[in-house]
Amino acid sequence: MKNVKIYTLSTCPWCRKTKNFFTEHKIPFTFIDYDLADEATQNSITQELDASGATGFPFVRINDEVIVGYQPERYAKALGI
Amino acid sequence: MKESSINVESRKKALHYFFSKVVDPLGFKFTPDEELMNFLLEQEVILEGKHGIPFCPCQPLRHNRSRDMQIVCPCIPFHRKHFDSIKRCWCGLFVHKDVFDPDKLPQLPPEEANHE
Repeated sequence: MKNVKIYTLSTCPWCRKTKNFFTEHKIPFTFIDYDLADEATQNSITQELDASGATGFPFVRINDEVIVGYQPERYAKALGI
Repeated sequence: MKESSINVESRKKALHYFFSKVVDPLGFKFTPDEELMNFLLEQEVILEGKHGIPFCPCQPLRHNRSRDMQIVCPCIPFHRKHFDSIKRCWCGLFVHKDVFDPDKLPQLPPEEANHE
């Protein structure tokens, strides 16, 4: 089972679509809504974003692969489904 | 209808008016997906109520003024090359004027977009 971690914004419709994708495909995932997180968590997330050159959400990490943006075909490929 | 919902709707209309004046000369228009447009405008009204500024609903506030000013909607001028290459802004509120089916536009980050 691949480890799926998602960073999202509660105001972002593409983040909702992303979470729906993994839910509909019955892929377990963890997520953090950046805008609802505490300052320390936000700082940690922005470091991860900066390290991968990401500027927006959704931010998806499937094992070691980072996919930025709502890209269902890439999620499927990374998951092997 | 509650007073707060009237305010949200009237502010959405105001933002729609102001934004259209800004994005039109940049070659962009509102997405033809009305459901998406309404949702995003509503989120911006909420963000404006919280922060005083209608920030992009899909980009993070970093609590760094110079960076945060680059995600004030419409943020197209700050990301022109990127958004021109994907024919949409990051959240999808705006698309190039020649786009009629926004669902076909992938949400590609700058490093994956084709900057020609």
